[in-house]
Parts: sequence; structure tokens; C-alpha cells
Amino acid sequence: MKSPNPASNANLVAERQASLSRRLFLRGLGACMALPALESFSPLLGAPAKAAATTAAPVRMAFMQVPNGIIPGSWLPTGEAGTNFALSPTLQPFEKIRHELQVFSGLDDLSANAGADGGGDHARAGATFLTGVRIKKTSGADIYAGASIDQVVADKIGHLTRFRSLELSCEANNRKAGDCDSGYSCAYEYNISWRSPTQPLSPEVNPRMVFERLFGAGSPAQRAENLKRRQMDERSILDFVMEDASAINAKMNGRDRQKLDQYLTSVREIEQRIERAERMPIPKIDANTPAGLPTDAGEHIQIMLDMLFLAFQTDSTRIATVLLAKEGSDRIFPDIGVTGGHHTISHHRNNADTIAQIAKIDLWYTRQLAKFLEKMEAAKDVDGQSLLHNSMILYGSGNGDGNRHTHYDLPIMVAGAGGGGFKTGRYVKADGKPLTNLFLNMADHMGAQGIERLGDSTGRLKEAA
Amino acid sequence: MEFMKWKLTEGSPRTRRAGMRRFGAAFFGLAMVAGTAVWGAGVPAAEQFRKEVQPILTKYCSDCHADGAKKGGVAFDELKSDEALLKPDLWVHALKNTRAGLMPPRNKPRPTAEEQQTLERWIKYAAFGIDPKNPDPGRVTVRRLNRVEYKNTVHDLLGVDFNADAEFPPDDTGYGFDNIGDVLTISPMLLEKYLAAAKAIVGEMVPVVSGILPEQTLVGSQFRGAPGGGRNARRGPAMLSFEAPVTISNTFQASHAGTYQLTVEFAVNGSEESDLAKARLIFKADDRELLNREFGWESNKTVRVEFEQQWESGERALAFKLQPPAAGEKASSNALQMRINSVIVRGPMEKKNWTKPANYDRFFPRAVPQWAEERRQYARELLGGFATKAFRRPADAKTIDRLVKLAESVYSQPDKTFEAGVAHGMVAVLTSPRFLFRMEENVKSSPSANWSLVDEYSLASRLSYFLWSSMPDQELFALAGQGKLRENLAAQVKRMVADSRSEALVSNFTGQWLQARDVGALTIDAGKVFAREAAPPAATTEATNAPASLLTSTNLAAGATSPVNQRRQNFGNFNGRRGFRPPVQLDGAMKRSMQKEAEMFFSNLIHEDRPVLELIQSDYIFANSNLAKIYGLTNLDIRGTELRKIELPPDSPRGGMLTAGAVLTVTSTPERTSPVKRGLFVLNNFLGLPVPPPPPDIPALEVAEKDFKGRQPTLREALEIHRQNALCSSCHSRMDPIGLGLENFNALGMWREKEHGQTIETAGQLVTGETFNSVQELKRILATTHKADFYRCLTEKLLTYALGRGTEYYDTETVDQIVQRIEKEDGHVSALISGIIESAPFQKQRTRANAILVENVESKSPAEAGQGKKRKTAL
Repeated sequence: MKSPNPASNANLVAERQASLSRRLFLRGLGACMALPALESFSPLLGAPAKAAATTAAPVRMAFMQVPNGIIPGSWLPTGEAGTNFALSPTLQPFEKIRHELQVFSGLDDLSANAGADGGGDHARAGATFLTGVRIKKTSGADIYAGASIDQVVADKIGHLTRFRSLELSCEANNRKAGDCDSGYSCAYEYNISWRSPTQPLSPEVNPRMVFERLFGAGSPAQRAENLKRRQMDERSILDFVMEDASAINAKMNGRDRQKLDQYLTSVREIEQRIERAERMPIPKIDANTPAGLPTDAGEHIQIMLDMLFLAFQTDSTRIATVLLAKEGSDRIFPDIGVTGGHHTISHHRNNADTIAQIAKIDLWYTRQLAKFLEKMEAAKDVDGQSLLHNSMILYGSGNGDGNRHTHYDLPIMVAGAGGGGFKTGRYVKADGKPLTNLFLNMADHMGAQGIERLGDSTGRLKEAA
Repeated sequence: MEFMKWKLTEGSPRTRRAGMRRFGAAFFGLAMVAGTAVWGAGVPAAEQFRKEVQPILTKYCSDCHADGAKKGGVAFDELKSDEALLKPDLWVHALKNTRAGLMPPRNKPRPTAEEQQTLERWIKYAAFGIDPKNPDPGRVTVRRLNRVEYKNTVHDLLGVDFNADAEFPPDDTGYGFDNIGDVLTISPMLLEKYLAAAKAIVGEMVPVVSGILPEQTLVGSQFRGAPGGGRNARRGPAMLSFEAPVTISNTFQASHAGTYQLTVEFAVNGSEESDLAKARLIFKADDRELLNREFGWESNKTVRVEFEQQWESGERALAFKLQPPAAGEKASSNALQMRINSVIVRGPMEKKNWTKPANYDRFFPRAVPQWAEERRQYARELLGGFATKAFRRPADAKTIDRLVKLAESVYSQPDKTFEAGVAHGMVAVLTSPRFLFRMEENVKSSPSANWSLVDEYSLASRLSYFLWSSMPDQELFALAGQGKLRENLAAQVKRMVADSRSEALVSNFTGQWLQARDVGALTIDAGKVFAREAAPPAATTEATNAPASLLTSTNLAAGATSPVNQRRQNFGNFNGRRGFRPPVQLDGAMKRSMQKEAEMFFSNLIHEDRPVLELIQSDYIFANSNLAKIYGLTNLDIRGTELRKIELPPDSPRGGMLTAGAVLTVTSTPERTSPVKRGLFVLNNFLGLPVPPPPPDIPALEVAEKDFKGRQPTLREALEIHRQNALCSSCHSRMDPIGLGLENFNALGMWREKEHGQTIETAGQLVTGETFNSVQELKRILATTHKADFYRCLTEKLLTYALGRGTEYYDTETVDQIVQRIEKEDGHVSALISGIIESAPFQKQRTRANAILVENVESKSPAEAGQGKKRKTAL
């Protein structure tokens, strides 16, 4: 069986046959963007809460992880803090949207430091990036991290959209057999989004699945109907398994109970999503359903970010996390002539050739991101501002200098003004503050109230106020 | 609890045993009341330590671990309290290191065998508190089915091939395996996928209607008399030329008397230009003419005509007759053809005579009753049976009631069938936690028991998921139902290992233990690999190197024009330049061959019940044409992709898994070999002596290469520089000699004798003292003096895989007993597999109440655990 999709098989076959190359898909997307009807995807009329932004449009945020740190020298802008700075070579692709950019220096993720735990900086950098808490060193039992910023915010405002959050990954994740990083469970490297300290939210890697989850399967005309039917159908099943799981849970204890709790949380989550979907219209999208997993890394990232674009544009969700690649990724980049694995060569020990190679990789990633940001900039939101202006796209890594596994002075930038909450077009020197402080500012701009702490945060990041 | 258990052990001094047993029982009661440790219980173990163990430690270990010396953070004389003394962590390491001969170091005096035994017994029976007659089986966290298990279970349950790898996210791994209960989590996304999968799986297999309108298509070429027809006819249209009259015929079996609908489809084929010729087409059913009309060329338009017929049951004759135009009308009619596509017969149209859809009888063995109560009863029967199979234990009445209600809520809707209702219930079953998780139960035991046997249904699943990665089959399940599985355990294990489903154990265990699964994702740049073996530019003609034959230990003697020499020439020419095509690539076919080889080797091992030491050294390997290139078997003329067993000549460097392509490539970097990775691999996976992870900020080997100004050093030389740092040497002195011993195999696994024009030196000395000159000798040492280490390591790995949890200190005795059994049974793999299946942790489980107690202690940091709950360490 190739497809477990609820849509009729005939539809799927047709869809598969029409399964499209990226170019075709994007053409569809372009057409869709040109439609004036698009602006009718307004955030829900009468939605109970508005973001703290100054406009009527909702604010969206996404966190994107680039793995293995960067070459600091070619990342950091030159010049003083403020608006008068020059883009570095790695940031050059953002020239066109410079006015929507904030580049940060001096933000730290010290929870990822080795301390008494020894090796495993990649696992730590990944799992602390959005949580800011020390993770428990274990290769098997009892993983323990913390709730990540996207989920903490989703707890507050996730009910406003059909999906509380999206978790995406652009690296077909073939788990390696064995430990992932020096005695850390693979869960730490493969998940940046954590619902709770013990429940990582595994990201979706297949763009087709993301699309069908958001907009339904089948041809554009059938999608909304298919999605509705799928959800109705699911309700009675969920009722059944909820009761089933509760009955079992009553008998369980210890770690068994933890597993059943995860199951129950998941059931509740889907139920809530269905409830929301019944209240909120399913947007109609003219774009074609993307084909399955692209094999080319750049293509994978672009299609996945197209999905994110659609999700934001239609206000299907306001919160997302994207692993452009997992921490410790050993991706190779034949299209730019880099055949050594990213992680392998990231330990360059000041070899000039290797440094140049890694800088090329850093640039490859920012180029991928720039395409997405430009698309966000070109799309108009309901309030006439650009979609990018009404968003906060944080890009960065929990590793600073990938060579030395430093977790201070992280490469961090935010594109988009959060609807006006952020002053953009500037270089912000934070001078040794926890990265989580910046997350709190972002949470404020999202309209998520009452979040006073996250992980190692010490308060709002005043420099970004 | 450990102290009390110790007091009950065989291992404790005989003279004290009886008295202590009484004491222990009394103390147990006391401690439960008090909730904290009291001095009493700790005394015997601590006393025994001071009397028997401490003198040994003082004698052999105090140079580094006492009197102010605290190497590795260990000082035996700083264990102040009894509690600190009895912390398992320290003794796990002490046991491992002394057993493997790593401690005391090789230049220091070592304990005698007797002293070693005293130490081991004290650690196991006193410090760990293991009762060898009744060891603590531990408790595995409830396991979610992983992708492989889900796929296999769905296949065995419903016969559906579900592509779980594509549809589900990969499972996290712990302790090196992806079936560890603690690590397998569930998220909203995954549950959503389970739900979608359940619907798709049931949708594909389970019919939702009781009958479908029968339909049969007779294509033109199936009509007798059709040109080009007959037995070998293509299943296409019949082409009837306008030139001469022709009749073609076929028959149709009408199953019942009733209404039938016929759709006749045809067209006139011609060239682009119009043609005036017309021919008459007559279509008859039995003797009735249904169609009689002239047709001419009409732009190749397909004509479809429908007829409704009342037919008796039996054979009906169908015929087409084509009458060409009269001679006078003939224009260019030879250019025209009547294309008879098909006749579709639908019917009988009366619903009572419709046919059952595919699989109907399998899921609905009798007709759907008419009355509500009977229907409910039928639904109960169907869903109860399905749930019992899917849950791998009898479904309880309450659950079945709820399933029936769920089904009824669907089939009571006006437009829904009974079958659709039952199918809906089945979707619920496949989404239930009872299906997705492996729920286990203990047999009833006295409330005070800390552990007891798992019930027979749990045992059936433990067996089937261990050996087949799938649900129990009919036979296992029936035996469990009768409570006769344990009685028949040996026979069942034998049957299950022989069954082809045991290939799941082979691929999942070797795929992860030997990391053969990872081969698929490797990228190794063959060009760069060969370039390393080429000589430096100045010495091109002299020292270059081609893969030597496996079968001869020297390079192939070859004339100047031989392919080998030409290849050498190429290597010389290459040296990083373009235009060179490496003779071997690690492409998809090669990777599959390597992975398959590892699997076949292990499969052969368990099916032929070979000694497990063959994993280190065997006189055979498996190869196909791809692997022949890697292994230099070019003289054997091995063709095709099929792997076959190849006998090796005596003293071949190949044989066993350490020199197999899969292992040699996964332990290389994309451009070169990595002696460190290879050494680490052997320590981790063959000797069970993991090395602590490296500190951050270590230089890569390429940095050490800079010290050799102007000359490319061999990896050995580079590693020597790297090892000069004392911090590095403690671990590298363990890894490097083993890895360097394998340096004659390049990153693709091919034999080579030189690197950068210099002869590769493989001689070395293990940290435990043994010296070797070649890979053959290295393997011999591993298989002899380190045999016990290997047995123990393999046992721990397979036990972890079988249990779905990591091995803990309280499993030490279990592992030892299995190792003894392997020794006794001459190393045969059956001793390992049966040993695991019959072991305490496989057969038993801590009771739920006891699980909590232990988990609380384990999940705290040692300090906390010591403070809060002293029960475990001090009872």
C-alpha cells in the first residue's frame, strides 16, 4: 500500500500521476498568489484575541535551525549596532529585505555547554536551542529537556488557528543505528520542538503530507470536503480510543503511565484541532499538491518553506519550527562543490580551505532562506503590510563557532517586524544575554501573555525592545 | 532491596546463610515501616567487603585508586559510608574493567583467578544484591510498535503491505536499537498518522458492502475468429478489415436469470483523410440482433451503444458480423478497419444476485442478519475476534461492547452498510493503545512478590516480536490461550527460528548491531580513497597500489600490460586530477550487496546454528559480483547480484564481520579510513568496552598531518602524534591498535598495502598486552583471549534487543549465566538465543507496584536517590 491517505484511492492516483515537479508546483503557487481572492483568507472574523501588533493582521513566528554553527567571521555584520551596518558575506542574500532584518550578536545558549556531561554538543545544541534548559544525558531511558518557546506560545494562542503549530524538517531523517551523539538519545538531535520535557514533537519531512494535513487531499475542488469528512470520521474513533486509553491508564504507573499520557495528550490535541476546524473555514488553495520527498536538499527546503508560506498566508497556523537540517547533519552539497559532510568538515581547525568550504555552506543555507523571505515580502497581508512584516522568522543555531562547539555569540537573526513590534533594519549587540530573552520579546509580539520565563531567560531582551 | 536479596543468595558465605535469611525477612518488614535504612541490613555486605574484598583492592589498585590517588575519579578508600560503598555504578565499571583485563594496567600485577572470583562474587551478590537463583528481571516500559513491527503486524493481521517507512517518522533509538520502550514516544502527529494508516489499511482490505454488481469485460481480441486472435492474442481490440465479410463470436455465462446490461464499444479506424466507404456492423446476443447499422469513417470516433437484455441463466452467445460495402461503393475501403474494443456485460442487475466483493468471506463469514439484536451479536462476534487478534490477548467484554456500539453508530445511519460499521470498528481497534502498544501482564502472584512470570500471552508476544518483529501467529496464540506455551517453549523457539519470518531478527539486529543499515546513507568518495593509495607525484611509477587479491597475500604478479598495471598507471595519473574513473564505486548496488552480506552471514549463523565466534573469524564469506570486486575475488568469476557462500583459503585476511564491506565502510569517513572509528566499533560492539566520548575541541587527524612538513604521513604516524597528548592516550591506546590492525582495508573495504606510497604497518599491541602482526592474528586474539568479552558483549546486545530495554547492573548475573551456557554449548548461536529466551528478564517482570519503587530511585540522581529512598540500596 502506497498511501494511507483517507481520500479515495482514485483521487490519489490521479493526484500522483499529476504529481509535479517543483517548477510546476511553484507555478501553481504563483498563480495562487496572484489571485485577489487570496485576501479573503483573512484571519477569522471575530477571532477572540489579537496579537499585540499594531495592525489588525495576526503575527506569525517561525524558528529555523541551521546545523553545526557557522563561520563567525563571515556571518557577523560589520559596523556599529543600529541601522548603520554592512551585511556580511553570509548575510548578503538578504540585501533585498535588509529593512526587515535584525541581526543579533552576543546571544548565548549556555545550557548547551558541556559542564560535567562531556561530549555531545550537537545533541545539546539542538535540544536546548528553543528550550534553554539543560538536557539529561541519556541514550535511552528517561529523556528530559524542556518545553520549547513555540509550544509555550502555542499553549497561549494556538487555539486561534486551525493548527496550533507546525513542526517541519527538511532533512530526510534516516536515523543512524546506535547513539546519535556521544551518549545522547537521538530524540535530542532530531527534535527542536518540545511539547513538554519528555515529549518531543517529531517534525514532518514530507511536503505532500504537510500540504494534505493543512488543506486536504485530492484535487483543489475536493480538498476541503475531503478534509472535513476525514475529521468527522476521526471523531468517533478518537472518542473510542480516548476511553480505551483512560481505562488502561488507570492501571498504569511509572514510565508506562508516561507513555499513555503522551497518547492521551495526542488524542486531545487532535480532538481540539477538529473542533477548531469545525469553527474555522478550510482555506481553498489552487496550488497543486506537491510530490513526495524531494531528493535534492535545496528543492526539499524550498518546497517545505512553500508549505510554511501557505500555512502562514492562510492563517492556518501562526507558529512553526523548521529543521533546515538536524544538529550534527552531515549533508553534502555537490551543487556548490562541497563533498565533505557538513559536520565532518565543520571541525576545520583553522584550515583556510576548509573554512572557505564551510562558509560556502553557510551561504547556501542563507540563500535558501532568502528565497522564502523574499516571497514573504512580496505577499500582501490583510492589512496591506507584507506578510514578512507581520512575521518573525528567527534563523540560527545553538552552536556558535561550529569548529569549537561554542554556545555563546550564536548566529541569530530575525526577519520581519512582528507586525511592528520589532524595529528592523538594524544590528543588535546583546553583549552576553540568553537567547531565551529574545524569545520572550517574540512571545509578547505574538500576543501570548503571561510568559515570564523560559529556560535560562533572565528577562526581556532590552536591546531588541 | 538488594541487601536482603544478597542475604538469600547462594553466593554468600555458606555458614551465614540461614541466619541471615531470617534476619533479612525480619528487616524487610521493619524497613517498610520505617521507610529509611537502618544500620542492620548493610552490615553483612559491607562487612564482607572489608574482610575479603578490600585486601584485594589494596593489593592491586591502591597505586592509582587510594591514598590520595584518585585516577578516573575513583578512590576505593574514600568510600566512607556503607551506602557509598554499595553504589552499583562504581562496581559496574570495576567488574567490566577487571574482567576485560584493562585494570590493573598490563604492566602492573594482576589479581589471581581466585581473587578475581572473590571480587566478582562480592560485586554481583553483595553490592548488586543479585540472587542467582532468582535474579531481578527488571521491568520494561510499555513498548509502542516501531515502524518495522507495525508493518509486519499489519501484514500478519490483515495481509496488507503497508509502507510504514514512508508514512511514519523514523523511531528514535536507545542503547543502539529502535525497539526500546523508554525511547519510543508518541506525538499528535504520529497519532494522526496512525489514524490515517488504520483507515487506509482497513479501507484497502475490508469490504464495506455485501455485494457488488458483477461486471465482465470481453475485449475484442478475445472473440473467436478475430484476426490475430487465439491463445497468444494481445488483450486489445479486434481489427476487422472492411475488405471481406467476417464474423467473430464469444460466449458469456449468465449466472442467474435476470436483467443484464451490455455496452458495446467500437470505432472505425482509417487514415487522416475522409473515406466514403461504409460497412454494416451487426451485433447479436444469442439469435437476437441488437445492432444492425452502417458505419463509415468518422474521425476515428469511438461509438458506445448500450442494450438491456432479459437473460435466462446459462451460456449466451455474443457475435459481431461485419459486412463490407458492395463492390460498387468501394472507394478505398481497404484503408478502413472496424475496431471492436470490447463488450462489457453488467448483471444480473437484481441486487440479490450480486457477487461478493474480494475478501468478503474472510471478514464476513456469513450473511448479515436482518434484525437489530442479531446484527449486534454478529458485530460482537466479528469485532471481538478481530480485537483479540489485534491486541494479541483476549479483548474484554467491555471493550467489545464499546466497539459494537461504535459500529452500530455507523451502520444505523440510513446510507451506511453493516459492513461499513464493522470496518469503522476495526479502524478504532488499529488506533487503540492496546494495538499500538504491547501491553503485558504478570501471572497472578502473591502481593508481596516483587516480580513474577509474565503471562503466556505476553510471552507469546515477547517471542514473536523478538524473533519475527511481528505478532504471534495462530499456533503461538493458541498455545498461550491454553496456557501451554511455556511447556512447549523449546519446540516453539526452534520452529520460530526456522520460520522465514526470523529474517526480521536478522535484518533488524544486524542492521543495528553491525550498523549495516547505515551503509545505505553513506557517501564515500572513491576517487579520493584511491588517490590516497596512489604514490606521491614524484614517485608515481614506483609505489602505487591496487586492491590485491584476497586469495593471495602478495600483490598479483602482473605484466606491464595487465589490467592491474594499467590501473596502477591510472592511480598515478589521478592524484586528485580530473578524468579518473575509480574502478569501484560505493553505489546503490554495492551498498545493498554489503548490507545483504551482513544479513546473510547472520542468517546462516542462526539457521545452521554455527558458533558465534564466526562473527569474528570464519573460513567462508558471502559474495556476489559486486563484492567480488571489493574482496579481490576477480579470479573466481562470480557473476550476478545473488550472494553465495565462498570458501576461503587458509589464513585469508577475510572471513567474519570485522573485515566485511558493511563494517569497514560504516567505520570510515567520506574520504578515508578511520582507525579510531574502527577501533571504537570493535570495542563497542564486539568487546563491550565502550570508551567515554571525546572531550570537545579535539583536533582532527589532518592537523597532526601538518607536523610532517612536505610529506603525507600515514594514518598511523598521524595518530601517533595525536596520541602524544596524555589526555587522548588513555582512550586511544585502546582504540587505535585495533583500528590500525585493520588499515590494510581502505575506506571501501578493499585490500591495500600502501598509503601515500608507504607500506602500511598493521602490527600492534592491544592495551591488554597481546601483540599481533596481521589482521589474521588480531582476529585470532579477539576470538581466543577475548572470547568471553565477545560472548558477553553479544549477549548484552541481543538481550537489549530482545527485552526492549538497556541492560542494568541487576542483569549481570543473567548475562553471566547465558555466557556460561554459550561456553558449555561450544559457542553455538542456539545457546545464545535460548539462553535469552529462558532468562529471568525475558520470562518475568517486576510487578507494577514494584516498578514504581524502583523507577523512582533510578530516575533520581544518585545523590537524591540515596537521600530520599534508601530502600533500594539499603534494604
